[in-house]
Amino acid sequence: MALQPARFYVDDRPEEGVFRVHRDVYHSPELFELEMKYIFERTWNFLTLESQIPKANDYITTFIGRTPVVVTRDAKGQLHGFLNACRHKGATVCRLEKGNAKFHVCLYHGWAYDPTGKNVSIKQREVADYPAAFDADNHDLIPLGKLDSYRGLVFGSLSPDVPPLLDHLGDLKFFIDLHMDQGPNGMEAIPGRVAYTYRGNWKMQLENGQDPYHVDTAHGSFMAISERRRKGQGNVAAPQLDWQKRNEVQIGAYEFPYGHTSVWHDVAEPERRPTFATIEEIKTRVGAVHAEWMLKQRNAVFFPNLQIADQIVPILRTFRPISAGVTELRSMVLGPIGESDDLRATRLRQFEDFVNPGGYATPDDITVFADCQVGFGATGVDFLQGYSRGLGVMEQGANEEAREVGLHPLTSVKGHRTQNTELGTHAPFREWVRLMEAGAAGKKAYE
Amino acid sequence: MTTAVELIAAGTAVLSREAMYLDERRWDEWVALFPTDCEFWVPTYTSEGTLTKNPKTELSLMYFRGRGGLEDRVVRIRSGRAPAAIPLPRTTHIVSNILPLAPPEPTIVRLRSSWACHAYFPLMNENHTFFGRAEYELSLRDGQWLIAKKKTILENDRIPFPIDVYCL
Repeated sequence: MALQPARFYVDDRPEEGVFRVHRDVYHSPELFELEMKYIFERTWNFLTLESQIPKANDYITTFIGRTPVVVTRDAKGQLHGFLNACRHKGATVCRLEKGNAKFHVCLYHGWAYDPTGKNVSIKQREVADYPAAFDADNHDLIPLGKLDSYRGLVFGSLSPDVPPLLDHLGDLKFFIDLHMDQGPNGMEAIPGRVAYTYRGNWKMQLENGQDPYHVDTAHGSFMAISERRRKGQGNVAAPQLDWQKRNEVQIGAYEFPYGHTSVWHDVAEPERRPTFATIEEIKTRVGAVHAEWMLKQRNAVFFPNLQIADQIVPILRTFRPISAGVTELRSMVLGPIGESDDLRATRLRQFEDFVNPGGYATPDDITVFADCQVGFGATGVDFLQGYSRGLGVMEQGANEEAREVGLHPLTSVKGHRTQNTELGTHAPFREWVRLMEAGAAGKKAYE
Repeated sequence: MTTAVELIAAGTAVLSREAMYLDERRWDEWVALFPTDCEFWVPTYTSEGTLTKNPKTELSLMYFRGRGGLEDRVVRIRSGRAPAAIPLPRTTHIVSNILPLAPPEPTIVRLRSSWACHAYFPLMNENHTFFGRAEYELSLRDGQWLIAKKKTILENDRIPFPIDVYCL
């Protein structure tokens, strides 16, 4: 099908109660190309945690969309972000996932850069007979358009034409705070890393976190396991929530500007969360209401590349789009700095049990994503119907729960857990349309 | 008096049976190779060359202290409700380079192996080979050699398909 204007793909008619998304949004290589150009390359992306590069001259490599990026800490402790590509022939200058280096030397021809990106050596420059035009050129690593951090989360943008990070995050700061305030001395990413790909579009994972409706079907095997765990059988070192009780609580979702969004549910058994063990201490720092929010299950999306989720333990999960039908995920589990070994072990077992690619949930999620990707080949199915649960009771602006903590969402929805709202998917798709339209019209992403 | 060669042969036979039970989906016999107090550990890499060392304080791909964790995986496989296990991948494990890690004792044998698991995913009509090495502590309990401890290192850890115990 020839490309249509972005608006065509998201059938968004709130006054008529209609929100549908065209399958090509997940399937079309042409749209994927435009997403890289108009979304990933023109807005803020999550890059890493400051705590991943704590020392002078530490660095870590990552990607913004398809663009290789390196984040460094210089001798003075200042963070920098660059395109990870040598100015000479374009090879990646930092080839390892992370490390520590006073100088980054390209292995092809030996050009070298310091952690501020400055070119400090062009091999055999003095005998090269370079013309004056070469000497007049800049040879430093190309810096990102913007780099900034909030509560230890580092974000970067290839384009400089983005709003200030704090404005861009808006109320998402509340959800980041709920992660980062869980430890009295701050939070750390627990060592170890999990990286895996799935055969599906990057938006499948983004939506999956905003989709509580899939849980009892896609993760049906886990029901059988949790039944056993309640009887004291199986891997009891990884306590999980009772999924029957989980159906008795309230659920809600908020839509924020710039494509950010969050689903939350109350928790029937907060005592099973590692955070509960220190909740009294947490209350003294953040107050009772915020502490209560820490115990709620939350899944916030920073559009376009990060989930800030806390189903049982706080995690950060990034999606890196590889192609329309392939995505790489990386997950980090966070824990309070200085946490006891026993609580840390429980936290780890809970994470591994559910979130790992060999756990009880992720393998099934990524399998059904692949099923979707095959199903998107069905040309007779145009607009999908998975975005309407809860739409009948959606409110404009903040509801009572949002007002209590000073949030200003564009829309709010709340209901019994089994409502299984799908409204957390709307904000990302509205921003998708906005950015794709701006790009196609040759306008700046942010006016 | 059992000789060292006989002890190593007995341990090697356990490793071969473990692979066979997984490939032939004889889950109950596979679980029965582990005592109730076993340790089953698959560490993660922290970067290109370093593995996590302490499952209490660092992340693992899998860590089960006790056979219950393995029993859970079998419940999942048999539940008929796990999309990643419908259909199950077909697997062939190759286990080789089995050498003792320490001189064998009458009731404890420590071995290392190199392993490859060829997995065919019928849903996608694709193959993938998971591979690595493993360290075993085998323990003689009531006349049976059992896997008291197993540490599995998955070398190609940028994982392209969902994994389960039958992929390792």
